[in-house]
Amino acid sequence: MASDEDDDYMNMTFGEEPKANETSLQRRQRLKREGEIKGRVKSKAELAAEEREAREAALSKSMLEGAQAKKSKGLAMMAKMGFKGGALGSKENAGARVEPLRPEMKDGRGGIGLDSERKRKLRETAESVEKKVKIDENEFRDRVRRECEAARCERQVYAAMKVCERMDEEKQASSAAEGEAPGKKRTLSTRPLKSIPVAWRGLVRTREVERDQRMKQQSSTPRLPMYEDDLEDEDDKKAMGNTLDSYALVQDLDEEDPELDEFNALEADVKLKQLVEYLRKEYRYCFWCKFEYPDNAMDGCPGLTEEDHD
Amino acid sequence: MADERSSKVSKLERKRSRSPVDTNSSTKRAKVEKTEDSDDDDKKAIEHNPYLSHWNDGSNGFSEGKLPVGSALKHFKRRQTTAKQASKAEDGDNNPFTGEPHSEQYFTILKARRNLPVHKQRQEFLDSYQKSQILVFVGETGSGKTTQIPQYVVYDELPHLNHKMVACTQPRRVAAMSVAQRVADELDVNIGEEVGYSIRFEDKTSSKTILKYMTDGMLLREAMHDHTLSRYSCIILDEAHERTLATDILMALLKGITQRRPDLKLIVMSATLDAQKFQRYFFDAPLLVVPGRTHPVEIFYTPEPEKDYVEGAIRTVLQIHAGEAEGDILLFLTGEEEIEDTCRKISLEVDELIRETDCGPMNVCPLYGTLPPHQQQRIFDPPPAPFKKGGRPGRKCIISTNIAETSLTIDGIVYVVDPGFSKQKIYNPRLRVESLLVSAISKASAQQRAGRAGRTKPGKCFRLYTEKAFKEELIEQTYPEILRSNLANTVLELKKLGVKDLVHFDLMDPPAPETMMRALEELNYLACLDDEGELTQLGSLASEFPLDPALAVMLISSPEFYCSNEILSLTALLSVPQIFLRPAQKRREADEMKNLFKHNDGDHLTMLNVYHAFKGILGRGEDGKKWCHQHYLSFRHLSSADNVRAQLKRIMETHGLDLVSTDFSDRDYYTNIRRALVAGFFMQVAKRENNKIYRTLKDNNSAVMLHPSTVLGADYDWVIYNEFVLTSKQYVRTVTGIRPEWLLELAPQYYDLESWEGQKDVKQALKAVADKMRRRAAMKAGR
Repeated sequence: MASDEDDDYMNMTFGEEPKANETSLQRRQRLKREGEIKGRVKSKAELAAEEREAREAALSKSMLEGAQAKKSKGLAMMAKMGFKGGALGSKENAGARVEPLRPEMKDGRGGIGLDSERKRKLRETAESVEKKVKIDENEFRDRVRRECEAARCERQVYAAMKVCERMDEEKQASSAAEGEAPGKKRTLSTRPLKSIPVAWRGLVRTREVERDQRMKQQSSTPRLPMYEDDLEDEDDKKAMGNTLDSYALVQDLDEEDPELDEFNALEADVKLKQLVEYLRKEYRYCFWCKFEYPDNAMDGCPGLTEEDHD
Repeated sequence: MADERSSKVSKLERKRSRSPVDTNSSTKRAKVEKTEDSDDDDKKAIEHNPYLSHWNDGSNGFSEGKLPVGSALKHFKRRQTTAKQASKAEDGDNNPFTGEPHSEQYFTILKARRNLPVHKQRQEFLDSYQKSQILVFVGETGSGKTTQIPQYVVYDELPHLNHKMVACTQPRRVAAMSVAQRVADELDVNIGEEVGYSIRFEDKTSSKTILKYMTDGMLLREAMHDHTLSRYSCIILDEAHERTLATDILMALLKGITQRRPDLKLIVMSATLDAQKFQRYFFDAPLLVVPGRTHPVEIFYTPEPEKDYVEGAIRTVLQIHAGEAEGDILLFLTGEEEIEDTCRKISLEVDELIRETDCGPMNVCPLYGTLPPHQQQRIFDPPPAPFKKGGRPGRKCIISTNIAETSLTIDGIVYVVDPGFSKQKIYNPRLRVESLLVSAISKASAQQRAGRAGRTKPGKCFRLYTEKAFKEELIEQTYPEILRSNLANTVLELKKLGVKDLVHFDLMDPPAPETMMRALEELNYLACLDDEGELTQLGSLASEFPLDPALAVMLISSPEFYCSNEILSLTALLSVPQIFLRPAQKRREADEMKNLFKHNDGDHLTMLNVYHAFKGILGRGEDGKKWCHQHYLSFRHLSSADNVRAQLKRIMETHGLDLVSTDFSDRDYYTNIRRALVAGFFMQVAKRENNKIYRTLKDNNSAVMLHPSTVLGADYDWVIYNEFVLTSKQYVRTVTGIRPEWLLELAPQYYDLESWEGQKDVKQALKAVADKMRRRAAMKAGR
């Protein structure tokens, strides 16, 4: 021991060496922080939790076992009386208590059975949550990828539909220019939905439904002043948003359309495939090449799928 | 199931000027000198009686133990009488025990007595009783067993002939008093003469007494000095199903005594049908069952567990009042504060109900153990009359602790509301804490409560829990008190009772070994038991006091600190319920008043200040009641502390303990008192950990806060406490600051630093204190 001290006598450090790279400001902050942690008055909930824990620990430890028990004078006295473990009482009286009763603390005024009912519900929700949680990383990655794919596909379906519509319009226009007199243009909105090919009918229908709703809303929630102002001219009305645009509704908007429903129920990639095929057939247009081929052979197009165009 | 208050409180029985069931029997009888005429028959009986060898033949002309002239009992043969004979004697014009003419009231009562269910089986009872030494008797509440069986025994036992009494124990003081009064009326004698009672600090018996009602604790005390209970020829343990600590110990003792004394008869009476356990325990004793007079009770459960049982109870009471037919309501809640609070709420709600609908008036009466007797009396008032003739009937609603579960008989109850909780004492040796906790009742308790609804006519019981909860969550039977108590006091009593082998002592439900171990350790630290487990002189003396060992030791050692007068007062004050009142609406005023008495060193000294002021007021002849009212103090509890003090003083004087005081002007006056406190309570010390958190020392080792009621002003790092309050938080209540030196000085055994384990910081602190003490002593010696 003495030699250890001898070795050490020149040591000039006192206790822990202060960190070299700590400035006085940092040090002050650190000390303050540490002081705060040390001096913080624990919240009542924290204290209660600590007490509960300590209580549980004490309650679950038998005093008849362990080193402490060997020193116990009480146990020694009992041993002198013939105590050899087990319960007290006469030998005939079997089944006496060995464990002391546990005190059960009751919080609040919940009725009998409320706690167990709560626990049961908690357990049930915990179980159902557990089931959901059982998804591993790969699955998650897969799912995200699939979702991305689907979303992309949906976007492409929409784009393809738009193309269909545009092509159709162009075709109509050209046919009109060829045959009938110009100016007698048939607007799409008045065309019966059923006459539109199912491949892109959905696009029109959704648009029409939205417009219909907007209109209904406009007419059902009128602006506050509902009187007709004679002084208002058309421009005023337009500025105040009081003009009631008259839309020609698609005739069969409210009708059931099982054909369309069936189409909508398809997966996005199937829909896209059908649309691509439709475009090729009707308009000799390749959705992937973005090109309208002059003949049906569609020379130069690498294939039907997107991958073919890579 | 006993009405349990704080452990300290239940230790001492508080005197009560009037019992709640005080039947008015002021029929004065003139005293008639007994003549010396003694019949030959009597003489013969005396000669043949083996127990009267000590009896003075009474040749001096006045002798007790003889029958009055022409007594109807003249030809009775002890333990051979019949119900017919007894009835004839009861019908006589003169009282067979006193020789005086029977009063008119007697015959009215006699008629009622003959209607009790138990009367029909009188002969059956006598047959069983005469045949067997031990008898188990089951009679439901209302069968009349508590009043009638002891009388039947008296008529068969003829105690006046052999100078041996019949004793009937009751778990509760109030019951012992009121039943004794009732039976005195039934036998047409003065209370305290032929029929008497004995409760802690009040003995109303005389040399004439043949039938004695007493608390079970009192009989146990008698057994300490008379190990075979030789004064009694028959002992009746009533309400044995309540399984109080004292009843359990008495049963174990009597089981042994009956072996040694074949002439001693024992009847164990219970109100529940769980009698087989008693039979088995008492060598398969015969069983006699008397049905109670009960009506069917319909039981309702709630479909869902209650979120708040008090709210649920209030709602249920109001629904009953609004919708059910005539009949009083009994609601069981857990404690004084809860009951008073609910009383207020229900009264307000009923007023509202009356304004809105045509329902009748309702009287709401609280009922709990510490309620003043005149207020307890209110539960027997008839329900209020309807507002107008032909209007909806009035109703009484009694809100009670489980005191109304078995012990009090209240007629007129038709509806019982049972939230399923009661306050129960619980002790765990591992935590070393005895606490009153609100706990779920047992199935047996729930049935007992429901039964209260069927006393007068078919009733209804509304249980504020689901049927599933009843079946799955409630235990079958309430745990006997012996499993829920700190046994330090019991072990001391058993030692005094001469029980050598505590481990194999034949209790019906032996406690957990750790509880016993803990009790022995505590007594050893208090020097009441030596290391061999033998009773020391101090222990023997301590057992003479009806107090917790720590209190008794403090009291016994107080003369050494020159403050036994003060410690005596303090002991009395700690033995009664809280003397400071704090009404819900006037908390601030009450606190201000309490501050008038405040002593900076702690609550004990503050209580002492109050007591001294109280005595001063009484001494000056002023109105103590008014003074207490003004100062938010309980006159009743202060007076009862005064009474307890007088009783304890008598015990101290008997045992030659000096009553001394330090001069009040001496600066050590309060220090001495604090040191004396440490001498008893050194095992209940807490040391401050940080700002508000204290930690109890050694094995107790729990973080606690000082109870908000404390007045402790000065900054003390070390405090002693009287009570550990375990709720969802942990508090110590009634604290006083001390100096750590005293611990080392006064309890070196307990604070032995050599063998100290755990709590390193405490050890370090104590070590520093010890070093300081040593230095100071050395300095003094060096001078």
